[in-house]
Amino acid sequence: MRVILQTKPRKNPHIPIEAEAVIPQNFLRKNDIRVYEGNKERKLEEIFYITTEGPAVSPDQVEIVLAGETGTLKRVGEYMNAGRIVVEGDIGMHCGNFMSAGEIIIRGNADAWLGREMRGGMIRCEGNAGHYCAAGYRGEKRGMRGGTVEVMGNSGDFTAEYLCGGEVRIHGDCGDLTGVEMRGGTLIIGGNCHRPCGNMTGGTCMIFGNADAMLPTFRSNGIEEREYEGQRFQMMVFRGDVANRGKGTLLIRKK
Amino acid sequence: MKIEDVVCPFCGCLCDDLVVEVEGTRVVSVENGCTLASEKFMGDHRLKSPIRRAGKRWEETSYNEAIRETAEILCDADRPLLYGWSGTHGEAQSIGIHLAELLGALVDNTSTVCHGPSIMAIQEVGHPGCTLGQVKNRADVIVYWGTNPIDAHPRHMSRYTTFADGFFLKEAFRDRKVIVVDVRKTESANIADEFVKIQPGGDYAVLSALRAIVMGKRGIIPLSVSGVSREQLFRVAALLLSAKFGAIFFGLGLTMSPGKYKNIRNAIELTEELNRHTKYTISPMRGHWNVYGSNEVFTWISGYPYAVDFARGIAFYNPGETTSVDVLRRKECDACLVVASDPGAHFPKACAEHLAQIPTIQIDPHTNATTHLSRIQIPVAVTGIDAEGTAYRMDGVPIRTRMLFKGNYPSDTEILERLYALVKEAKGL
Repeated sequence: MRVILQTKPRKNPHIPIEAEAVIPQNFLRKNDIRVYEGNKERKLEEIFYITTEGPAVSPDQVEIVLAGETGTLKRVGEYMNAGRIVVEGDIGMHCGNFMSAGEIIIRGNADAWLGREMRGGMIRCEGNAGHYCAAGYRGEKRGMRGGTVEVMGNSGDFTAEYLCGGEVRIHGDCGDLTGVEMRGGTLIIGGNCHRPCGNMTGGTCMIFGNADAMLPTFRSNGIEEREYEGQRFQMMVFRGDVANRGKGTLLIRKK
Repeated sequence: MKIEDVVCPFCGCLCDDLVVEVEGTRVVSVENGCTLASEKFMGDHRLKSPIRRAGKRWEETSYNEAIRETAEILCDADRPLLYGWSGTHGEAQSIGIHLAELLGALVDNTSTVCHGPSIMAIQEVGHPGCTLGQVKNRADVIVYWGTNPIDAHPRHMSRYTTFADGFFLKEAFRDRKVIVVDVRKTESANIADEFVKIQPGGDYAVLSALRAIVMGKRGIIPLSVSGVSREQLFRVAALLLSAKFGAIFFGLGLTMSPGKYKNIRNAIELTEELNRHTKYTISPMRGHWNVYGSNEVFTWISGYPYAVDFARGIAFYNPGETTSVDVLRRKECDACLVVASDPGAHFPKACAEHLAQIPTIQIDPHTNATTHLSRIQIPVAVTGIDAEGTAYRMDGVPIRTRMLFKGNYPSDTEILERLYALVKEAKGL
C-alpha cells in the first residue's frame, strides 16, 4: 500500500505540525489519525490531501510518501517498527524518534534530533541534518542504540551525542562536539568536525577529514589502516577520553 | 521613615541587609546597597497607566480593558508564548504556569538566555552545590570562571567570598585564595591570586585538561591548552587541590560560550574529581534576582525548569526546540505575553522582529526596549518596593521580599489572577 500525503496550504505555515501518528502501522488499520497544529488537534485530512494506492496486510507493506511543505512536520516516524517513509522534501525535528525497524528516506534536509534514541532500522538523509543527529533526549544517558543513520551532506553540533550502538555515517562535515559522551557504536565522518568525542567512554569514531581543536585528553595509540568509500587510508589512533577514564577509540586520517 | 533589613530585588545575591529611607511613595536613600541596588530603588521611570498602540501612537487605557484585550489575544492564538518571569515573585510565576497550561501555551523564563545550559548539565550529572553561608564560613579556595562579580554581582565578594570573614576563616582576604578564569582581564581578575586567561571557546579543553591532571594523568597534557601553559595548569591544579573547602562559581562566560552545557558538565565533573581529594562545590552566578525562583516554581508545577510546552495539554521540555529564542526565530508563535523581563533588549534581532510582528503584550513597571515591540503594556508594582513576594537566592535559599510602601499599582499577582479568570471563563471552565 502506498499512502501519499500532500500538505495543504495553511494560514500560518510556521507553526509546526506534531505528526508522530504518521507511521506505517497506523495506516494499515485506517484509524482516525490526528495530528497537532500548535495547541489545536487536527484530523489528518485537515492538514494533508491523502491518496491511497493498493492494499497491504502488514505494516512492512506500507509506504508513506510525504510531499509539499514538509519542513515543519515533527516526529514523523516516531516509534516506527516496520514499513517505509519517503519524504520528498525537508523534514522537521525528531524524524524517526525511537524507531526500531523500517526505513526512512529524506530527499531534502532534516531538522534537529534526526533518529533520536533510535533502536533499529535505517534512516537516509540526502541533504543536511541539523543539530543532535542520532543523539539522545535531554538528560538521557543513552542515545542511539541500534540501526543506521546515513547523512549525505553535513550535520550540526552534538552529532551522535551519547551514541551507544548502531552506525552513524556522515559524508560531509559535522559541527562542534561531535560524538560527545559516546559510549558505543560507530561514528564515521567523511568530512571535517570540531572537538570530536569529548568525554567519550566507548565506541569508535573515524574522521576522514580534519579534526579541528582536538581535545588534549586523548592518548596517541599508533597508526591503523581503514577503508572509506573504496579507498584505504592511514589513520592516527587515539584512546580516550582520559579526562573521563574513557576507553573509546578515535581514528583521524593521517595527512 | 527608615526601613532596615530590606531585600534587594536586583541580582541573584538578594542582599537582605539594606537600609532604605522612604517618603510617601518614594524611596529617597539606600544604605548598604551597591550602585545597582541604588539605581533599582531610586529609579523612577514608571508608566502611569496601561497603554495600547493606536496606529503609530500610544493611547492610555484602563486596567480592565488592557487585561480583557490581552485575554482575547491569548485565547485566539494557536501557539502563544508566555516569556519572562524572572523579575517577579514566585506567587505570580505560579499563576503564569497555570495560565500556560490553560492556554496550551509555551512558557519560558530568562534561563533560556542565561543559566539554562547549567540546568541541562545538572540534569545530566547532578549538582554538588551548597549555600553561600557554607562558602562564607568554610571556603579557602574560590574560583570565578567566566564571571566578573565586581561588575555583575558587586557584593558577592564582600558578603560571601574574598572580603567576608567566616567562622573558619578569620582573615578572609589573606586566608582565601582566589582563581579567576576568563577570556580577558577583568576587575575581578585584578584581585585574584591566579588569573587564567583562556582563548575564547577554550573552556571545555581547559576543564578536561584540569580533570586529567587532578586524576594524575599529567603526562598527557600538551605544552599549551587553549592559550594556557601547561605550567600554569599544573599550578592551578595544585592550588585547587590545596583547598580544605573549595567553591567554584561560574557565569555566562561558561554557559554561553561554545559547548554551552557541556562546559558546565565538564566543570561539574572537575568538581566531582576534586571531591575525591578534598571538599568542593560548584554554583552558578544567577543574574535576575528571582530567576532561580522561576526554575523552582516551573519545576514544582510542570516538572521542568524552563522552556515548557503545554501545546498538547501535557508538559514537554526540550531546550533548542521549546526555548523562546528558537521558537521566535522560527516564527512559530503567534502571540506573546512578556512578564517582568525585557526580551527586546536581550534577544537576537530576528526574535525581536518577530515579537514586533505578532501581538505582544508586556506586563512590566517600566518602559523598556520591549515596549517598542508591544501592542499593550500593563504597568505593575515593583516586587521588593511596592509589592511583596517570595524570591530564591542564587544558592536556592528562599527569601521573602518586603513591600516598603503601599503604592498605586497592582502587583503582578493581581494582574495575572484577573487574566487567568478571564481566560478560564472564555474556555468555559
